[in-house]
Amino acid sequence: MDHKTALRTRPSASAQVQEQPDVAPLPRRRRAGVRRDGYGALFVSPFVIALTLFMIVPIGYAVYDSLYTTKLIGGTSFAGLDNYRQVLTSSQFWDGAKRVAIFAIVQVPLTIGLATFFAAVFDAGVCRFGKALRTIYFMPFAVPAVVASVMWSFLLLPKLGPFSRLADAIGFHNTNFFSSRLIVPTVILIVVWEWTGYNMTILFTSLRSVPRTVTEAALLDGASLWTIIWRVKVPMVRPAIVMLCFVNTVGALQLFTEPQILAAFQPQAVSFGFTPSLYVYNTAIGSAEYNLGAAAAVVLGVLIGAVSIGSMALRRRSGEFA
Amino acid sequence: MKAASRTDDFVPIHLYGLRRGTVTLITAVAILFALFILAPLVWLVINATKTQANVYQSFGFWFSGPFRLFDNLSTLFKNVSGVGVYAKWLANTVIYALVGGVGATVLSALAGYGFARFAFRGSKAVFYLVLSTLLVPITAVALPLYLVYAKVHLINSIWGMVLPSMVAPVGVYLMRTFIDASVPRELIEAARIDGSSELGVFFRIALPLIVPGLVTVLLLSVVAIWNNYFLPLIIFSRNSTYPLTVGLASLSHAAETGSKSELVPVLIAGGLVTIAPLIALFFVLEKYFRRGALQGSLTG
Repeated sequence: MDHKTALRTRPSASAQVQEQPDVAPLPRRRRAGVRRDGYGALFVSPFVIALTLFMIVPIGYAVYDSLYTTKLIGGTSFAGLDNYRQVLTSSQFWDGAKRVAIFAIVQVPLTIGLATFFAAVFDAGVCRFGKALRTIYFMPFAVPAVVASVMWSFLLLPKLGPFSRLADAIGFHNTNFFSSRLIVPTVILIVVWEWTGYNMTILFTSLRSVPRTVTEAALLDGASLWTIIWRVKVPMVRPAIVMLCFVNTVGALQLFTEPQILAAFQPQAVSFGFTPSLYVYNTAIGSAEYNLGAAAAVVLGVLIGAVSIGSMALRRRSGEFA
Repeated sequence: MKAASRTDDFVPIHLYGLRRGTVTLITAVAILFALFILAPLVWLVINATKTQANVYQSFGFWFSGPFRLFDNLSTLFKNVSGVGVYAKWLANTVIYALVGGVGATVLSALAGYGFARFAFRGSKAVFYLVLSTLLVPITAVALPLYLVYAKVHLINSIWGMVLPSMVAPVGVYLMRTFIDASVPRELIEAARIDGSSELGVFFRIALPLIVPGLVTVLLLSVVAIWNNYFLPLIIFSRNSTYPLTVGLASLSHAAETGSKSELVPVLIAGGLVTIAPLIALFFVLEKYFRRGALQGSLTG
C-alpha cells in the first residue's frame, strides 16, 4: 500500500468512527488501544534487551564484584566495602579527580567560548569564506582521539617538534610541553582542537534557526553587531549552550585516551592515576586488581552521575528545561 | 529542515554599519584558527612520506628527503615487526563499525518508533531509563563488560565489541524525535484501517519517511565505533582482533620503545590511513553529520 491510498482512505475512516453508536465505545476502544499499544513494547524490546544485557547487567555484576577481594592464595572472599575504602582513601585517585576537575574548568569554557564566537560571526555573515572555514573546523570530528594524540605528540615533541622550535624562536627556550607544569595545558590544547568545531557546528545551526526578523528588528533599533550577537542572539540559543556545557563536562571528567596515548611517547608525563579513568584502567587491566578496579569504576560512575544530576537540577531550577 | 534551508539567508553585511577592516580582522582570526585545525592534518600527510630520521630532523611542515610514502604504506600493510597486521586491523574496524552501526540503527529505529507512536504500559518510565543511561560514563561500563566477558568467554570475540556498540541511547532519542516530526499519526491510522499489520505499517509507512534520520544515526554510530578506543582496548587482548585505534596505540608503543627503527613514519602513515575513510565519508555526507549534530543538541 502506498501513501496516497493511505491518505485517501482517511476521511471515510474517521467518518466511520463518528457514526459508531454511543453504546459504551470507551472500553472497547481502550481495549483495542491496549492491544495495539502492546506492539510498542515489542518494538522497544530489542533495544531494551540489548541495553539490559550490555549495560545494566554488567554494571550490576561490577557492583557485586567490587564487594569481593581475590587473593592469589586464599581465593575470593567477601570484603564488604574494603575496596571502596581503598579507592576513596587513595591519594592517586583523588589527585586524578582534582586534575580532571581543573581540566574541565578550563577546557569547557574555552571550547564553548571559541565555538560561540566563531558560530556567531559565521552566523552574522561578517567573516569571509565562512562555508569553507566551517567545514575545516568540523574536520577533527572525523579524527579518532588516538590519531589526534599521536599527531600532537610529534608536533609538541621537546626540541624537535615544530611547536617547540616555534616556542624557542619566540623566546621560550627549552619548552617542554610534557613537563609536569605544562602537561594539563597540553591535553587541553589537544581536546580544544578535537571538539571546538563540533560545538561550533551545533551552535551555528541553532543560531541559524533564530528568525532573521529578530536581527532586522534589532538593527532597526540601532543595535550594533556585537550587541545583536551577545544581547540578542546568543541568549536565544542558551539552552543549546547549557546542553553543550553539560556534555563537554561529562566528557572531560572521563578523560582517558589523550593522556593514555601521550604516555606512550612521554611515559614520565602521565602517572598511574593521572585521571580517574586511567586509575580504573591501570588498576584493573594493568595490575589485574579487578575487584578494586570495579570499585573505582563504580565510584567514578557515581561521581559523574552526581555532577550530571546536580547540574540538571540547577538547570531545572533556573527554568532552563523547556 | 528549516534551519538548513535558511543557511544561505544572511542579513546583508552593510546593514551592520561595521568599521572598515572589521570583517578583515574577524576573517584573519578565523583563518588563524583554521590553520591551527589544519596544522596536524597537514603534518600527518607530509610526514607519512618521510624517513624516520627526517620526521625528527627536517622541518615538520614541508617535504624532505626521499619520498617514502609507498614504502611506509607497504611496511604498514605487512606484519609490522610482529606487532600485528594493519590490514587486519582495518578490516576489523570496518566490520565492527558496519555491523555495530547497522545494528544500532535498526535497534534505534524500532525503539524510537515504539516510543514515538505507542503508549504502552511503562513506556514513559522505560524512556526515562534509556535517557538516564546517557549519563553513564563509558569507563564505568567498559570494565564491567570485561568482567562479564571473562565469565562468558566473550573476550577477544567480535560480538563482545559489536553487541554493546548497538546500544546507542542517543540513536533512540534521535529516532524518536525524527519519527515524531516526520511520520504523521493519521498515516499510520489509515494503514491500520487498510488492514496492514503493525510490522507492515512500520516497514511500509514509517521506514520510507525516516530514511534521512536513519542515515544520520548510522553515520554517527559508525563514527563513534570507528573512533572508539576504551572498550576495544579493554576487551581485546589478541593482536588479530584489534581495531585501528587500539592497533595504532600498540604501534605507538612499539615505535617508541621497540628496537626496530623506521617504525615512526609507518605509524604516521597508519594514522593517515585511519582517518582518510572518515574524512572522505564526511565530505560526501556532510549535511547528515550537521543534522546529527543539530539533533544531538536538542537532547535533554
